[in-house]
Amino acid sequence: MALKSSKRELLPGQKRLSIGSVAADAGLLFWFLFSLFPIAWMVLLALKNAEQQTTTYFQFSPTWSNFATVLSDKGTEMTSVDFKASLLTSLINCGGAVIVSLVIGIPAAYAAGRWQYRGSNDLMFQMLSFRFAPELMVIVPLFVIYNQIGLFDTKVGMIWVLQLVTMPLVVWILRSYFQDLPEDLEQAALLDGYTRRRAFLMVALPMVRPGIAAAALLAFIFAWNNYVFPLILADTNAGTVTVAITKFLGGGGQAYYNLTAAAAIIAALPPLILALTIQRYLVRGLSFGAVKA
Amino acid sequence: MATVTISDLHKAFGKTSNKIRAVDGVSVDIANGEFFVILGPSGAGKTTTLKSVAGLIDIDAGTVNIGGIDVTNVEPYHRNVAMAFESYALYPQKTVSENLASPLKSGRTGKYSESEQKQRIDQVTTTLGINQLLNRFPRELSNGQRQRVALGRVLVRPADIYLLDEPLSHLDAKLRAAMRAELKQLGAMSDTTTLYVTHDYQEALALGDRIAVMREGRLVQIGTPQEIWRRPADTFVARALGQPEINILDGVVDDGRIRLGDGSFDVPVPADARCSRGDRVRVGLRPCDIHVVGKHSNGSGMQGRVVLAERLGRNIELTVDLSGSQLIVLTSGREGVAEGEHVVMTIADSDVHVFGAGEGDTPRLGPVARESTLEAAQ
Repeated sequence: MALKSSKRELLPGQKRLSIGSVAADAGLLFWFLFSLFPIAWMVLLALKNAEQQTTTYFQFSPTWSNFATVLSDKGTEMTSVDFKASLLTSLINCGGAVIVSLVIGIPAAYAAGRWQYRGSNDLMFQMLSFRFAPELMVIVPLFVIYNQIGLFDTKVGMIWVLQLVTMPLVVWILRSYFQDLPEDLEQAALLDGYTRRRAFLMVALPMVRPGIAAAALLAFIFAWNNYVFPLILADTNAGTVTVAITKFLGGGGQAYYNLTAAAAIIAALPPLILALTIQRYLVRGLSFGAVKA
Repeated sequence: MATVTISDLHKAFGKTSNKIRAVDGVSVDIANGEFFVILGPSGAGKTTTLKSVAGLIDIDAGTVNIGGIDVTNVEPYHRNVAMAFESYALYPQKTVSENLASPLKSGRTGKYSESEQKQRIDQVTTTLGINQLLNRFPRELSNGQRQRVALGRVLVRPADIYLLDEPLSHLDAKLRAAMRAELKQLGAMSDTTTLYVTHDYQEALALGDRIAVMREGRLVQIGTPQEIWRRPADTFVARALGQPEINILDGVVDDGRIRLGDGSFDVPVPADARCSRGDRVRVGLRPCDIHVVGKHSNGSGMQGRVVLAERLGRNIELTVDLSGSQLIVLTSGREGVAEGEHVVMTIADSDVHVFGAGEGDTPRLGPVARESTLEAAQ
């Protein structure tokens, strides 16, 4: 009889539903909704027209016109900032900062991961300490300096200052990758007759590609989202998209919340696209099979 | 081909407060074409010595000469040495054939055209039986295959010295024995000066022209396999070689005999032993040197009772109790002794090793085949 046992036999790995696991799932669901809500709200707001933008109803007539306005000359007239141009500026600034950080940071991370010397840990810590202090603390002296040496509102100046944000990130992430890399591989290359530079380029560098991808992505996002530096140190020439978004809130004039939301969504796309493009490189595991476990 | 001379090599790791002396004053002369084995337990400093010869670590003191030239401050890629790493160190993003081509493409081991490279790789992979693996990646290989590729990367290029760091240690016992035989038959190995590091005494005895036994950063003894086996310099060397381990018993020298244990049994004093009547000594008896002569006493020999008899394939390992002292004896099994029975055993006086009394490792009392170079350096 099927009803002989009141409890059904479980398959291997199967568990009975317990109150704890149901509660945990419910909790996760709540947290998920909670954290997703602002994004959902932003999307809804971006689709509302000017009359409905201050309502809190979910019922409205959706329109794509906000996105068009943000990117058109009309948007430029409203805010006196060309949003498209600031988008491009952001790409140049952040891309430049990431490239500078990688070019200098990869060799630095390799050196820091491979060689211990007097004060090497202090040096690494000092580099990280740039990230401890709030940016607002250094912004006033930076502003004065930038004005005096003519870096104010230049792309070079922005790359230079954003690199302060991205470099420690790159060095610290990649250092741990290089430390995990077995030294035997580079030593084998040395004995094969390659110089240290070529051993680094031929053996070590290809193996940390996933690390470089991860570090570059994180660095790009951090640079992209930076607000304080471009706000103070740049204007129309080197102003980034984070600053341009806020112009739609209208300093003193009318606030266009729907346009702000649309601009924010557009601004979030480049990092998102970048993340999706390189996510397959983010998988670690290139070093498997190189050396015994 | 080249000679290798290491003199007074020192290397310590760690901070000054808790320094670990990995290599502590190693000196050795290795002849041209010699197969030289460094034998020792893990942590003895074997790999550090090897990497010092390769130039992969900065040594604290001492010099390394290759072919009569001081290379102490020479970069590894100028030393013309090839090394097989214990971890294999195959480039994971390269195929087997690319791994093998790597030393040929660097330009520092000679210039090779594409066809010359291919020919050399073909030759070495055929010798090692891995030519069907050329297009695989290291992660797709078994440990035995990886080990062969690592060895191939050494053999594919001309080198003054081959440095082999435990190349057989990660193989299973059968494969290890087979590879040991193969290694010995490789022509290149017999022509090129080779430094071979191992913790396996059988490998050392089977392969080495000479063996250096290493412990805690120092070379305890250097000699031919015969010398190391027959005349171990101290109890450490004696224990390092042989399975089951050598029996070490405390004893007192009497008239031409050494009384062992509680004094109820004895062994002859070997002719070359430097000890005199009344001395307290330690005696080493190899399990394979002790012969079971029968079950009943005729007045001579050591008598005891078999506590344990274990068959280990060809041999039987007996644990014999001699009035409180235990002795491990290796027999062929023909004697037909069983657990609980009485046995009588003898040992040739040349097979008795006499060491100084005391705790820890004590030196041999008698002539040791010490290397003249070792003494000269000290």
